[in-house]
Amino acid sequence: MLDVKNLHAYYDSSHILHGIDLEIRQGEIFCLLGRNGVGKTTFLKSLLGLTVRTEGTVQFDGREIADLDTYERARLGIAYVPQGREIVPGLTVLENIRLGCFARRDRKVTIPEYIWSMFPFLREHLNRRGTNLSGGQQQQLAIARALASEPTVLLMDEPTEGIQPNVVQEIERTIVRLNREFGLTIILVEQKVQFARTSCHRFAFIEKGQIAAAGAAADLSDTLLHRYMAV
Amino acid sequence: METIIIGLSIASILFLVALGLAIIYGAMKIINLAHGEMVMIGAYVTVLATKHLGANLYLCIPIAFIVTAAIGYGLEVIIVRRLYGRLLDTLLATWGVSLILQQLIRIHLGLGLFDIHIDGLGSDLQNVQVPELLRQTLTLGDANIPVYRAFVFIVAILLGCITWWLVYRTHFGAQLRAVSVARGIASCCGINEKRINSLAFAYGSGLAGIAGVMVSGFKTVSPDMGTPYVIDAFLVVVAGGVGHLFGTVASAGILGELQSYVSSILNDVYGRTAVFATVIAVLLWKPQGLFVIRSR
Repeated sequence: MLDVKNLHAYYDSSHILHGIDLEIRQGEIFCLLGRNGVGKTTFLKSLLGLTVRTEGTVQFDGREIADLDTYERARLGIAYVPQGREIVPGLTVLENIRLGCFARRDRKVTIPEYIWSMFPFLREHLNRRGTNLSGGQQQQLAIARALASEPTVLLMDEPTEGIQPNVVQEIERTIVRLNREFGLTIILVEQKVQFARTSCHRFAFIEKGQIAAAGAAADLSDTLLHRYMAV
Repeated sequence: METIIIGLSIASILFLVALGLAIIYGAMKIINLAHGEMVMIGAYVTVLATKHLGANLYLCIPIAFIVTAAIGYGLEVIIVRRLYGRLLDTLLATWGVSLILQQLIRIHLGLGLFDIHIDGLGSDLQNVQVPELLRQTLTLGDANIPVYRAFVFIVAILLGCITWWLVYRTHFGAQLRAVSVARGIASCCGINEKRINSLAFAYGSGLAGIAGVMVSGFKTVSPDMGTPYVIDAFLVVVAGGVGHLFGTVASAGILGELQSYVSSILNDVYGRTAVFATVIAVLLWKPQGLFVIRSR
């Protein structure tokens, strides 16, 4: 569903991604692994057209999207849960979730019912500032916001980083459920190898802005991990 | 009592101009030096509409809003949009626009070059006829309240409420606030930030245009009348705390009353001096203004 060919990305004059070729299939969790600073986040931002300059082609459901503005890509069904969550300050929990709705194709501002059953606590805090929630709750709010757009593919950047352990498990279960039950395609940037192993269908290692290794979940060997993840 | 009402009307004008400036700054982080010219154009729309269309002052409010909002929209799309993130360049560019707009009025929109003169334009001073009802004075106890000044105050309160509702109670407002503080994530949520910016610019300009209609009722109208307003509005925004709606209200009120009060017991020069001195004192005491938005 997402087809990336020869993707280069730049911040000002620094060249971050050096020709990435990648194909993401419908209905899978695709895990991007690698050390810090190798370009994983930049890759996600390139798919969204966010703050980076890119060259190369990105096709989404057969349509070339590399020249579209970020908001147009969001309206095509690409949702983003950024690293650090980025809950919008000054907005209530409800307003934060509603932001996601502005990317819906039917332009209706209605929040899908399953979001409430998935994150029941959000309903109890609708009128609180989103930024007053705890880290774990903010992460769930960020996921709810992304889901409110009824996306076809979800980009997640280290969704459990810096979150207390019991909430980490909850979020991990949610991610797997979104994929297995709701058939949502997910591109996951992850540092936690254990979760990557159990959740993903396929994976790729990024190293110095290039794909260093890729394969199906079963091929995610300790040798690869040692080579591309060990510090 | 009279001084207070006059002070309130000055504060109301300041508030309308400052509110527009603050909305534009909030959304785009640019300072629009042509903002004062929106006041001026609002006043000239009133002059022209009363002279040529036979419109009264009430009708001029929506007309001026539409005209200045359209000019603001065009300004954003044609010039400002290309200069995002370049504060100095936007200052220069919008200042240039303000000079062009002033001269356009002086040369009868360019028709003066062909010896065509439009009554109501040009560099001479213009006056606007205020409706009968607003020319009266109300006697409350032993105070004489000019109805027009009270009218200005009511218009400002209404527009303040409408703006509050627009910013905090509508989807457009939520989008505007999201774009103001979290540009990237807003566009990831499908918000077309360029469109929001243009609309915010148009709305802010429209508010200044309405302020211009109000001003035209008690001051003579001239091509360079807008300049003091952009400066004052700036002071109001900075002293009140940038991006804080209530701060803008409070600081417009304080500065407007101060100017009116000091002017009435001494003279205008001291009134201005008091305003500037107060703003300096506020900024020394609270560099971020009276009210600060905590981002967490």
